[in-house]
Amino acid sequence: MGSLHLYHHLMLLLSILGAVLAENLGNISSDSYWLLRIKSEFVDPFQVLDNWSTETSFCVWNGVTCSDDQNHILSLNLSSCELKGSISADFLHLTFLEALDLSKNSLTGSIHPDIGMLQNLRELLLFSNSLVGTIPSDIGYLKKLQVLRIGDNLLTGQVEPTIGNLTELKVLGLSYCQLNGSIPKEIGNLKNLQFLDLQMNSLSGLIPKEIGSCIELQNFAASNNGLEGKIPGSFGNLESLQILNLANNSLSGSIPVEFSQVLNLKYLNLHGNRLEGKIPSELNQLVQLEKLDLSKNNLSGPINLFNTQLKSLEALVLSENFLTGSLPANLCIRNSNMSQLFLADNNLSGKFPVDLLNCSSLEQLDLSDNNFDGALPPNLHKLESLKDLLLNNNSFSGTLPPDIGNMSRLETLFLFDNMITGGIPAEIGKLQRLSVLYLYDNQMSGSIPNELTNCSSLTEIDFFGNQFSGAIPPTIGKLENLVLLQLRQNDLSGPIPSSLGYCRKLLRLVLADNKFSGPLPPTFRFLSDLFLITLYNNSFEGPLPEVLFLLKNLSIVNFSHNKFSGSISPLLGSNSLTVLDLTNNSFSGNIPLRLAMSKNLKRLRLAQNLLSGHVPSEFGQLMVLNLLDLSFNNLTGELAPEISGMEKLSHLLLNNNQFSGSIPTWLGSIHELGELDLSSNNFNGTVPAELGNCSKLLKLSLHTNRLSGTIPPQIGNLNSLNVLNLQKNNLSGTIPQTLQQCKKLYELRLSVNGLTGTIPPEIGTLTELQVILDLSFNQLSGEIPPSLGNLEKLERLNLSFNQLEGKVPPSLGKLSSLHRLNLSSNRLKGRLPPTFSGFPLSSFQDNGKLCGPPLASCSESTRHERKWLSESSVARIIVAIVFTSTLICLGLLYIMLKMWWKWRKVSVACSETGKSEPKKVEEWVYGEEMKSDEYWNVNTMALLPSQDKQMSNSACIFHLKLSTESTKNPVV
Amino acid sequence: MAGRDLLLFVAVTVISSSLMAPMARGNSDGDALYVLRRSLSDPDNVLQSWDQNLVNPCTWFHVTCNQDSQVTRVDLGNSNLSGHLVPELGKLEHLQYLELYKNNIQGKIPAELGNLKNLKSLDLYNNNISGTIPPSLGNLKSLVFLRLNDNRLTGPIPRTLTGISSLKVFDVSNNNLCGPIPITGSFEHIPLDK
Repeated sequence: MGSLHLYHHLMLLLSILGAVLAENLGNISSDSYWLLRIKSEFVDPFQVLDNWSTETSFCVWNGVTCSDDQNHILSLNLSSCELKGSISADFLHLTFLEALDLSKNSLTGSIHPDIGMLQNLRELLLFSNSLVGTIPSDIGYLKKLQVLRIGDNLLTGQVEPTIGNLTELKVLGLSYCQLNGSIPKEIGNLKNLQFLDLQMNSLSGLIPKEIGSCIELQNFAASNNGLEGKIPGSFGNLESLQILNLANNSLSGSIPVEFSQVLNLKYLNLHGNRLEGKIPSELNQLVQLEKLDLSKNNLSGPINLFNTQLKSLEALVLSENFLTGSLPANLCIRNSNMSQLFLADNNLSGKFPVDLLNCSSLEQLDLSDNNFDGALPPNLHKLESLKDLLLNNNSFSGTLPPDIGNMSRLETLFLFDNMITGGIPAEIGKLQRLSVLYLYDNQMSGSIPNELTNCSSLTEIDFFGNQFSGAIPPTIGKLENLVLLQLRQNDLSGPIPSSLGYCRKLLRLVLADNKFSGPLPPTFRFLSDLFLITLYNNSFEGPLPEVLFLLKNLSIVNFSHNKFSGSISPLLGSNSLTVLDLTNNSFSGNIPLRLAMSKNLKRLRLAQNLLSGHVPSEFGQLMVLNLLDLSFNNLTGELAPEISGMEKLSHLLLNNNQFSGSIPTWLGSIHELGELDLSSNNFNGTVPAELGNCSKLLKLSLHTNRLSGTIPPQIGNLNSLNVLNLQKNNLSGTIPQTLQQCKKLYELRLSVNGLTGTIPPEIGTLTELQVILDLSFNQLSGEIPPSLGNLEKLERLNLSFNQLEGKVPPSLGKLSSLHRLNLSSNRLKGRLPPTFSGFPLSSFQDNGKLCGPPLASCSESTRHERKWLSESSVARIIVAIVFTSTLICLGLLYIMLKMWWKWRKVSVACSETGKSEPKKVEEWVYGEEMKSDEYWNVNTMALLPSQDKQMSNSACIFHLKLSTESTKNPVV
Repeated sequence: MAGRDLLLFVAVTVISSSLMAPMARGNSDGDALYVLRRSLSDPDNVLQSWDQNLVNPCTWFHVTCNQDSQVTRVDLGNSNLSGHLVPELGKLEHLQYLELYKNNIQGKIPAELGNLKNLKSLDLYNNNISGTIPPSLGNLKSLVFLRLNDNRLTGPIPRTLTGISSLKVFDVSNNNLCGPIPITGSFEHIPLDK
């Protein structure tokens, strides 16, 4: 080391010599010469260095302090001079310099690697600049350095171990840089160090145990780094330590009991680490401790801290741990200094700690997110200094005590997510400072007292999810500072008082899910800041006041499920709408063009109204529109090509209107489209092949239109498709084989069309088909492909009313999930799979020659076998059979008919269990649809014990049919 | 650039963190599904539309609601999802179809799924699910289809399942289950082979 040092001296000497030779100027050995060169590298926008000129002695220059002999500069202080530029290398010539302060400027560049040459330097302050590069290791040669503050720069690299050579150092500030690596253990050599600040870097590794040798240390902060491992117990040696901040690191293990020896500790912050185990009760010995923050760790066990010992404690923060048990009796005592007690988000339990009521100095109390229960104490007002009371997310029950009105300093009251019952006491009106009142998610009832409107400081009211009833207080307008009024999900009723319009600062008004009625008051025009208004699920009625057009800042509007009527125009004064939902009202008239002015509109829902006219072509300007739902209106006309500009659409629902023309091909260019419902309109033309480009499409519903032509094979490109419904159109041609690529289909309906050809066997590869496969009412021919037997999840299969022939493939018997089946009105023949015996006759009727349960057994149905009998005996037998079976079965027929009628009634009343399509009625023949309760209990295949009974009934019906047939054709 | 380097040893503890604006509430179905979303890794972004700020989850893709905006179907089969199921799924009171088959879901079947009184179909087949079949599934009084095949389930088939009278399809093949196969109750009519 020594020789290296010597070498540096030599280099310095050489460089000075070099400069002397090269410059050949007047008094080049003078500090003034070097200072002027230094000045030339600064950018000095405020001319702080104006008097730095050869005209005066440098000793009078700004910032300069000279030696007594006026020959050398001893100190330079240019802090906060808004200097830019870089720190000149010529500083290295000011070898007498003892203090250099260039802090709080905007200097760039790096710290010179030869900084070690300034051997007399005692103070080096470069903090709060924009210096880059590393901390030079030569800094270790500054043997006299006492203060080194270079933080708040853009310095990178490691803290060099040479820092340990600075044995005179008292203050070391390296915070707010981008330093990495670990804290060098040589730090322990700094026996004079008092202040060590390493906050806000990227330091990692362990805290060296050698830190315990810095016995003069008073303040140590290393928060917001990536330090790991255990906290060294050697901290216990630091008797002078007053402030220790290790927050937001990755420290683990337990809190060292040695902390209890640091008797001067005033501030201990270990927030945001991974510390575990119990809080050592030895911490109680820290009588000087004012602030203790152990929050956001994994600490467990009970709280063993006592204000009786921790007499100086002002703030105790233990939130976000796993602490258990109830609070100790003397956690906070009378006449203490405690003002903040944060215990949120633990597993603490028990009743509200009444001992806490003695803690009259307390200003903030946070017990939220714990398991406290029981009633709130009746004398809360003893907490006379309390400003913020946070008791949310517990299981507190009972009523809100009227005494709350005596907590005259209260500003914040959080009681949400508890089980508080009863009403709001009128005394609450005395709380003149109350600003935030959150009572949501409780079981409170009664009316909202008028007195609440005396709380003139109220800014936020949230009563969501209670059972408050009655009207909004007519004096609500007194709350001039109110920005949030959230009353959703209560039993509030009556009209909105017109005074609400005088809460002019309101930003968010949420009255949804109540029983409000009447029209909106015209005073709402004063709510000019209003950003969000949701009134859904009430009984508001009447036309909207025209003056609502003055609400220019509306962004989120949801008036759905009310009885509003008239035009929607008054809501369109704002160009900032992002969500407009007016579903299920009685709005009429056209869709105003003005809607297109809100260029940020993302969701527009006008479904279930009486709107008429066209979709304005200006809608094409709604470039970010995500959801457009205009279903169930009286809209007409074609979809203009301009609308194609809505290229971010993911839901387009235009069903149940009277739209006409062809389905636009541009839909194929809306790549985000996930749901397209154009059903129940008058669309004609073909299904555009371009729809095959909508690769994200999940639901495609084009049913009940006048579409013709074939199903384009490109539909097979929709490989995300879950639901395809093309039923009730005039589609012709064959079912495309490409449909097999739609591997995620769980619902496929192509019924009531003019489809021809065979059922492609590839359909059998759609093994996720579950809800239904409905191909009924077409002209499909050929045999049922055996591959359909692979549809193991299929619950309903309808192939009725086609021209299918041949046998029912035995593989269909494997459809173990099937509970409704309709193969009726085809030309099928042969034996039914045995597992079909539980299905009703109607599933198979009007086919040629099917047999086997539930139909007649296959041997009986072949009448030719009986030909060996004489005609007379045949006749006798027949007469006998006819006679007896008629007698027996007529009675049964009567019963059956009665049952059948009942059955039919039930089935008519039933509805689909699918998504909200109120008018959808599926065409199953003979009313097989069951009331949803009975859905699964009818037609079970081979599971119900009552199966035998069913079969005998069916057999009887078959007998009856056979006999009537024979009387009609007495040939046999 | 204020002098930040030193003498800022003390971080001031503020209450403001707990004073944040309350999240969208009163949407228990949506909240429950959102917990599921957070628990799943979704490389194909199939859950992209699951926006917690919406009034209800009925316009989320892969979610189907009834007319009262209650979730009846969750269709996330074959969606390249991994991660865990969450107990919150048990809060989807009106759920009929829970289709999470053919993914890479790990962890256990939450016992809370037994709370789904309206569930007709529980399809978790072809995943990486481990642990036992929770006996609480016996409370699924509407269950018709229970397909848990091709997972890593262990332990016995809970006897409680025999009490589900509506049960029609039961598939637990290709797991590591042990113990007797129930033959009483609803299992009387369930064939041993597929």
